[in-house]
Amino acid sequence: MLQFIADNIANIVIGALLLAAVIGIIAGMARKKAKGQSITCNCGCSGCPSAYLCHQEVRQESRDD
Amino acid sequence: MQGGKIMHVRIALAGNPNSGKTTLFNALTGSNQYVGNWPGVTIEKKEGRLRSDKYRDVTVVDLPGIYSLSPYTLEEVVARNYLVDGNPDAIINIVDGSNLERNLYLTTQLAELGIPMVVAVNMMDVVEKRGDSINLKKLSEKLGCPVMGISALKRTGITEAAEKAVELATAKVPMVPRHRFSDTVEKAISAIEDILGDRIKDRHERWTAVKVFEQDIKVMERLNLDENLRDRIESVIADCENEMDDDSESIITNERYQYIASIIKDSYRRKSNEKMTTSDKIDRIVTNRWLALPIFALVMFCVYFISVTTVGAWVTDWTNDVLFGEIIPRAVGNFLTSVGTAEWLKSLILDGIISGVGAVLGFVPQMLVLFAFLALLEDCGYMARVAFIMDRIFRKFGLSGKSFIPMLIGSGCGVPGIMASRTIENDRDRRMTITVTTFIPCGAKLPIIALIAGALFGGAWWVAPSAYFAGIAAIICSGIILKKTRLFSGDPAPFVMELPPYHRPIAGNVLRSMWERSWSFIRKAGTVILLCTIVIWFASNFGIADGRLLMVEDINDGFLSKIGGFIAPLFAPLGWGFWQAAVATLTGIVAKENVVGTIGILYGFAGVAEDGQEIWGLLSSSFTTLSAYSFMLFNLLCAPCIAAIGAIKREMNSRKWTLFAIGYQTLFAYAVSLCVYQFGMLLTGNGFSTGTAAALAVVALFMYLLLRPNREKTFNAASVEAGF
Repeated sequence: MLQFIADNIANIVIGALLLAAVIGIIAGMARKKAKGQSITCNCGCSGCPSAYLCHQEVRQESRDD
Repeated sequence: MQGGKIMHVRIALAGNPNSGKTTLFNALTGSNQYVGNWPGVTIEKKEGRLRSDKYRDVTVVDLPGIYSLSPYTLEEVVARNYLVDGNPDAIINIVDGSNLERNLYLTTQLAELGIPMVVAVNMMDVVEKRGDSINLKKLSEKLGCPVMGISALKRTGITEAAEKAVELATAKVPMVPRHRFSDTVEKAISAIEDILGDRIKDRHERWTAVKVFEQDIKVMERLNLDENLRDRIESVIADCENEMDDDSESIITNERYQYIASIIKDSYRRKSNEKMTTSDKIDRIVTNRWLALPIFALVMFCVYFISVTTVGAWVTDWTNDVLFGEIIPRAVGNFLTSVGTAEWLKSLILDGIISGVGAVLGFVPQMLVLFAFLALLEDCGYMARVAFIMDRIFRKFGLSGKSFIPMLIGSGCGVPGIMASRTIENDRDRRMTITVTTFIPCGAKLPIIALIAGALFGGAWWVAPSAYFAGIAAIICSGIILKKTRLFSGDPAPFVMELPPYHRPIAGNVLRSMWERSWSFIRKAGTVILLCTIVIWFASNFGIADGRLLMVEDINDGFLSKIGGFIAPLFAPLGWGFWQAAVATLTGIVAKENVVGTIGILYGFAGVAEDGQEIWGLLSSSFTTLSAYSFMLFNLLCAPCIAAIGAIKREMNSRKWTLFAIGYQTLFAYAVSLCVYQFGMLLTGNGFSTGTAAALAVVALFMYLLLRPNREKTFNAASVEAGF
């Protein structure tokens, strides 16, 4: 057993890191789903260049500038 | 009233969009609320408690921004339903002092409701900066209610205005409108009031009578009068229309504006004769009847040309060929070899994850440039004009420019684009808009365009812009075809839109928008796409042999090739009937970027051929330029990603309509790709084939649907409801 681990330590570590990353991603998606958000989309109003059209506070500020 | 406490008072905040209503609401209540009506957040009204030491129990209700109390838009109906049925104790009508004439139109209608009202003239600082002046006292005399100057942004005068409204509410002083229509009209209104009798509340008697005179559909529905009363009212209206030689609604509108003109004359002083602003001068050219469309075409051509073919491509060539093609794979490969990583794990990381994710991330520079341009166009105010420009075209086939706004937003991401369709009050138009919005290439489809343009067309200048215009053409053609069907027929809705003044784009806004959108793209690559690449790697590198699951040497023996091989024949008429292309298209359902990621894995993007040949060049062994273009068109026009499909389902609120939308998009994409490929083959001397005949049939059907006369003038709501 120990010999197996020693021979494959690189595989185990790298595989574990990869698995952790995958679990982290899936957990993040599950959290988003629980919040009612889309799990495949990171789109939202904050990044939309048309955001000021929908969110008038932004428009009001820019107008008064 | 005891010790500063009063009965519970509800104040409605009403005014035009962009009059500063939201800012005033936030200032009065201390809450942060997003409210608007164009291009539309929600139409829900917001409430907040008034922040005041003097009055404790006062609720401020923020109504949607509206231009009038007509029944044409959902926002107007929501606002007036609240004003009529919600029984607010007072109204604060916020008016933009720099646009008094337009804003007072709503004021004259609010005055007729009989609800105690205070007019708050906002942006007094802007008025003064211009050198103009408003005589608030005269305005108050003319309107018959208190008029107070405020600056919602600077928070001056707002407390006084709110307190005045509360005083009027507690004193229950009804609003008596000062303006009277012409004698003929007043006579008709009086007659209507007599006919209606006690069917209407005293407070709203005048407003209701005026609305009945205007033949307001919603008011008539609510009154639910019997035929005899309806006939009598129609007779009164007809007599007045004959005498004044105009329709009742126009009569009222004209007379309101005459009254407003008299108010302006007495209470508004301009410093100088009205000159054209810089925005007006630019708009004379940009929204010119003949120049508008060519200018728009040129602008979007430049955006896509520079993003994909020139500036963006220069950096993308480096990221694709050097960074993700050599540097990272070599560095990671060497490291994995040095620590003795197993071959399968090395393959997963290099040939799966780095190939797939790297292929997508390689296009980030082009995305950055594209997003920067889109943000620039939005920030300077040009994009707002595009909806106005497209209104002229859209109206020809029964839509309005309001339907183009979701498409404009969809050029960044389809999800907010689809959500923006909720501002379209007409159900049929909204469904049609949702169905066609994703024809516009979103940011996620840019890697597909860039891949095809770069790898198969040698960076030809016309490929990327043609993809965008193909989307526009698909929207217009679909609009024409669908509007002629019973499901979608009907007249276009009125489109009222305020064009914001042009202003110099603010670098911070542009960079922030560019970064946020790009970061969203990068985050997606590191999450959803990364997961997909792992799945694709497993599916392509593992298969069943001798009854056992094991790693295959040739990906053509893997699971993925079997699955792809099963569906690939479907795409053979389109010129790309091989499993790699079919699988890439299928993975695009999860995220459109996956199309490129999958191709990157299946064609060994991260590896380097022994003879040093660029791997992207291997694509040309599978695709011809014609089949590549067909592939690109299909993936641009077919059903969007899962997130967008989810948004369609939410907005349609019907599984059948969702399936219709997805089915229509996919079928349309198939038809277009079929025609492009088959006619391309014919023109390049490959002779007439069964595929060509099929394409001809498709074109014939398409032309028929496009050109047939529109018999569905009358919309039959019952038939649609029965069908869905």
